[in-house]
Amino acid sequence: MSLPRSARLVAPLAIVIAASLAACASPAAGSGEGQRIDGGTIVYAPQQEPACVFGGWIEQAYISYNVLDSLVSLDENSQVVPWLAEKWEESDDGLSWTFTLKDGVGFTDGTPVNAEAVAYNFDYWVTGGNSTARVWLFGYYESAEVVDDLTVRINLSAPYPRLADNLTQGYFGIQSKDALETRSDEDNCSAPIGSGAFIVEEWNRGQNLVLVRNENYTSWPANALHEGPAYVEKVDWRFVADATTRVAALQSSEVDAIYDVPAVQWKTLDDGGYELERYVTAGRPQQLSFNTQIGPFTDERVRQAFAYSLDREQIVETIGQGVIPFEGNGGVSQSTPGYSQAAADRYTYDPEKAAELLDEAGWQLNADGVREKDGETLEVVLPYGAGSIVNADGAAILQGVKEQAEQVGFVVDLIPVPQAELFAGAYSTAEERDIAVGYWTAVTSGILYINWRPSTPESPNYSNQAFYDDEELGQLILDANSAADLDTQNELYQQAQEYIADHALAIGVYARLSTLAVAPNLHDVWQEHAQGGPTFYDAYLTE
Amino acid sequence: MTALRPSVIDAPRVALTKRPWSLYLSIGLLAFLAVAAVAPNLLAPYGPTAIDYDSALQPPSFLHLFGTDESGRDLYSRVIHGTSQSLLIGIGAAFVSLVLAVILGALAALSVKPVAILVDRSVEILFAFPALLLALLLIAITGPSAWTQVFAVGLGTAPGYARMVRGQILAAKNSGYVEAATALGHSRGRILHEHILPNALRPLVAVFALSIGQSIVWASGLSFLGLGVAPPSPEWGALLDAGRAYVTQASWLLLFPGLVIVALALSATSIGRHLQFYLEKGRRT
Repeated sequence: MSLPRSARLVAPLAIVIAASLAACASPAAGSGEGQRIDGGTIVYAPQQEPACVFGGWIEQAYISYNVLDSLVSLDENSQVVPWLAEKWEESDDGLSWTFTLKDGVGFTDGTPVNAEAVAYNFDYWVTGGNSTARVWLFGYYESAEVVDDLTVRINLSAPYPRLADNLTQGYFGIQSKDALETRSDEDNCSAPIGSGAFIVEEWNRGQNLVLVRNENYTSWPANALHEGPAYVEKVDWRFVADATTRVAALQSSEVDAIYDVPAVQWKTLDDGGYELERYVTAGRPQQLSFNTQIGPFTDERVRQAFAYSLDREQIVETIGQGVIPFEGNGGVSQSTPGYSQAAADRYTYDPEKAAELLDEAGWQLNADGVREKDGETLEVVLPYGAGSIVNADGAAILQGVKEQAEQVGFVVDLIPVPQAELFAGAYSTAEERDIAVGYWTAVTSGILYINWRPSTPESPNYSNQAFYDDEELGQLILDANSAADLDTQNELYQQAQEYIADHALAIGVYARLSTLAVAPNLHDVWQEHAQGGPTFYDAYLTE
Repeated sequence: MTALRPSVIDAPRVALTKRPWSLYLSIGLLAFLAVAAVAPNLLAPYGPTAIDYDSALQPPSFLHLFGTDESGRDLYSRVIHGTSQSLLIGIGAAFVSLVLAVILGALAALSVKPVAILVDRSVEILFAFPALLLALLLIAITGPSAWTQVFAVGLGTAPGYARMVRGQILAAKNSGYVEAATALGHSRGRILHEHILPNALRPLVAVFALSIGQSIVWASGLSFLGLGVAPPSPEWGALLDAGRAYVTQASWLLLFPGLVIVALALSATSIGRHLQFYLEKGRRT
C-alpha cells in the first residue's frame, strides 16, 4: 500500500506543478518565414465534434465548408462572389433566381456538378437534409427547376432579395446527388461527397477527422487566394474540448492552429508570435431570451427589471478582457447589416429602476432579499449549453448576470447543460426554462425571421426562444425580408430590433466570436466571411 | 494466547515519534476545516459569490489572502464556503466506496465458491471500465447533482478497494494464526470475528482517510465536465477546474484550491495512520 498511497497523495500537487510548468513553456517568437513545405499536414484543434460533417450546426458548417462547395461565396467586403455558380440573376418580380454553373466541375465521386444535382440539393435541404438551411428557406422556397444542364432556377413564393447572401453559408454546401441517393445515411453523414478542396479521408470519432486534398479541384471560390488544388496534403481536425489544453497543444507545437482562444490567453499568444484571428459573428449575438408564455417573465415589467439589473457592459469588459465585445442588442449583432444601435442602447445598468418595476409588478422584497408574490419566490431557470453554445468565458459572464440579477431580488438557477443533453432537447420547452441563452450566425438581419417567426399549429417555430408569437413583429420582419431596396430593408429590420428591445423580449450580452490562433509556420489560413470558419484551401506550412 | 495474535498486516513502517507534530498539525487543519464547514461566515470575509469586477484577477494580498478570480471574487472566502460541500462529497464518496468494497470483497473471499466466483468476475468486469466511465454512466442515468456525485465517485472507485479487501481477507484466512486458531478448535464464527475481519479491515481506516482526498479529485473532474456541482458553486473541485483556464495569468486560482485539497488529503491520511497505530497498540496491551 505504501507506494500507491504516496502516489495518490502527490497526484493533485503534481497536476498543479505540471500545469505551472506547461504555462512557462512557450516557443520563440516567429523569426521570419522559413522554407515553404510542399504538401504536409496541418493539425487543427477545434473544440467541438459534431455528429455529422454536414448539418445545421455552425460547427458542422465549419467542417463541411472545406469539403463541399457552395453556389456562392461571401468576400471580405460582404459582396457575394462566384463559387460553383458563375453568375446568377433575380427575376424582376423577385420570385425566381437563375444560377448558371461553372462548366466541367465534378464531385469527388466522378459525377458532374450540374443543374440536376443543385436542384436535388435544394429539395434535400428543405426535406430535412439540413435543419438550418430548411428554416432559412421555409416559407419562401417553392421549387428548383432544371433549365438546362448548367442552369438551375429557384422559384420562391415571395421575393427574397438577399437569397444569394444566405446561400454563402456552409449550410448550403452542394453534395453529389448520386451519393445522396445511393449511399447509406451513415456514409453521407461521416463522409459527404462534394466537389470541395478536401475529401473526408477518415473520422476516428472522439478523436480526429482527417481531410485529404482533392487533387482534381477546379472550383475554388472567386475570393480564394490561389488557383488549383490546395497546397497542403492533409488537414487533421483534432477535437480538443478543453481550451487550456488547446492552448498548451499549440504552444508545444503539437498542433498548428486552434479554434476558440480564451480571452485570457489572447495577449500571451499574441506576444508569443502567434497569429490571432477574430471574427465577430454576424447574426444573433449571445443573448438572453425571456419566456413570454409561462412564468414571471410573461410580465413585461419583470423582463425590463431583469435588463435594468445588469451591468452587462462591465461584466463583458472584465471577463472578455477587451477581446469579447459587449453587445446590448438582443436581436442582431453589431457586425450585421441592418443593426440597430438604438435597440442595443435601450437598457443601461439601473438597479433602482429595476426595483421600482418589480415593486410595480407586485414582487415584494422579503427578509432574505428575495422577491415574492402570492407566496411564490421570483426564481428563474437559466440553462445554457456548456461548452457547446457557451464557452468558458461565456459561462463566467453568465455567472455575473446571475449575481447582479440576484442583487435586486431574483433567484437565478444557472444550469450548465452538457452538449448531448442539450441536443437531445433538454430545457427546450416553455415549461422548462425562463431564460434561454444562445447565438445564431447569419449573414444578414434576416436571422430575425428565424428567431421571431410566430408559431402556428401547422408549423411551430422551435427557434422562437422567447415563445413570442406576435403578428405585428412577424409582419415587420416579413416586410423587411422582401424589401427590394437595401436601405428600406435595413430600416424595417431595425424597427423589428427596437420592438424586441422595447418589449424586452430578448437582450444582448456579448458578440459571439470565432477566433483562431495560428502557429508562426502556418500561413494564409483565413476565416471565411459568411460565418468565420477556418478555410485551409490557401494555407501552407513553412519549416 | 497473546503470542498468537498477529501484528497488523501492512503496519505503518515509518516510526511514529513521541511528539507527532504532523498529527497535531493535521488535527488543527481538520478542526479549522470543520469550523469552515459548519460556520463559514466566521472565517470568510466575503460571500462565496460576491462579485467585484474592479478587483478581478488580483494576486494574493492581505486584502485577498488567496487572490481573486476573473470576476473579482475572493478566493479564500470561496474556499472556506466550499468546504462543507467538498467534505460532504469527499467523505460521502469514500464511505459509499468502502461500504461497497467491504460487501463485495467479503463476498468474494468468504462465500461459497459459485457465489465467490460470480462476485469475483463481476468486480473484474467493473474493473475493466475506467472508474470515471462508471461514474459517468451513473450520472447519465440520474442527472448531475452533489448526491449523484457522491454515489458516482463511490461506485467508480469501489472495485479497486473491493479487490484490496478481498486480498486482505484471503491473506488473513490463509495465515498461520488462523491455521493455529483452527487447530485449537475455535469455531468458524469466532475465527472470522476475532481474527480475520479485524486484521483484514483495519488497514481500511487509512484507506478511508486516503480516499477522501482522492474522491475530491475525482469529483473535481466530474464538476469540470458539467456533471457535478454547477459553477459558480465554490466546491473545491469546481474551483480547481475554473482556475485551470487562468493558470498562466493567475496561477493562484489553481494553486490554493489544489494546496487545500492536498493538505486535507495529507491530514486525513496522517490521522488515519496514527489512528491505525494506536488501535493496534491498544490491542497489544
